[in-house]
Amino acid sequence: MDSLSDLLTAVSHPTRRAIIGRLSRGPARFLDIAEPFDLALNAVTKHLKLLDRAGLIRRKRKGREVMISLHAKPLKEVAVWVHEYERFWNERLDSFEQHFREKKQQP
Amino acid sequence: MKKTKDTLDLSFERKIAAPQQEVFDAWLNPLVPGTPWSESKKLILDPKVDGLFYWVHESGCPHFGRFTKVQSPALIEHTWMSPNTLGVESKVSVRFRKKGKHTLMTLRHSGIPNTKKGRGHEWGWNYFLDAFYGAAGKVSIK
Repeated sequence: MDSLSDLLTAVSHPTRRAIIGRLSRGPARFLDIAEPFDLALNAVTKHLKLLDRAGLIRRKRKGREVMISLHAKPLKEVAVWVHEYERFWNERLDSFEQHFREKKQQP
Repeated sequence: MKKTKDTLDLSFERKIAAPQQEVFDAWLNPLVPGTPWSESKKLILDPKVDGLFYWVHESGCPHFGRFTKVQSPALIEHTWMSPNTLGVESKVSVRFRKKGKHTLMTLRHSGIPNTKKGRGHEWGWNYFLDAFYGAAGKVSIK
């Protein structure tokens, strides 16, 4: 895939967007990033790999820990290509997906 | 995103936590949030082959089209026209595939005119910023 496709893939999933949101507040350890999500650690690793592939995160060893930080510059490339319908359908599908998620959680 | 000289094709995929038939039926229900027909102030919807839809968003933007395939519970296809397609018939295809207890949904919007009006760069960028950070501008991109 080209870099734009990697970026669009990286930002197309609500969990990855939430991870970007978390990292926009500052670097974090892997377990801190994973903590708010009801996901297996393996799944969070996969999300991080896609963000990594798109060049959106950086890892830096700090003693025994690895700190993960946001590298937002590549997002500029997305800005150039984002289409109005990209926004429209992503918004709609996120909302549709959320509807079923909430329905499933209801007793 | 696939881009040709004159048109753009957009593709989206979601894994929905419900059976295929339920997801298919929900997509045609204007009361379900996130369907193309929700948030409308005027709606005419006749989801059968050669049936028409006319949908006016709360913002006032009209959309209309014609259903070309309605194959329950697997496929819905229809044309899509709006001010952003500049009167050109673009095509929306939504596939529903069984994935265990879930449904893999693939939406493809093809044949969108590749124009400045259609691309809406600034608005799109603001959307992403909002989606990422809750409020735009928390990250400096230079």
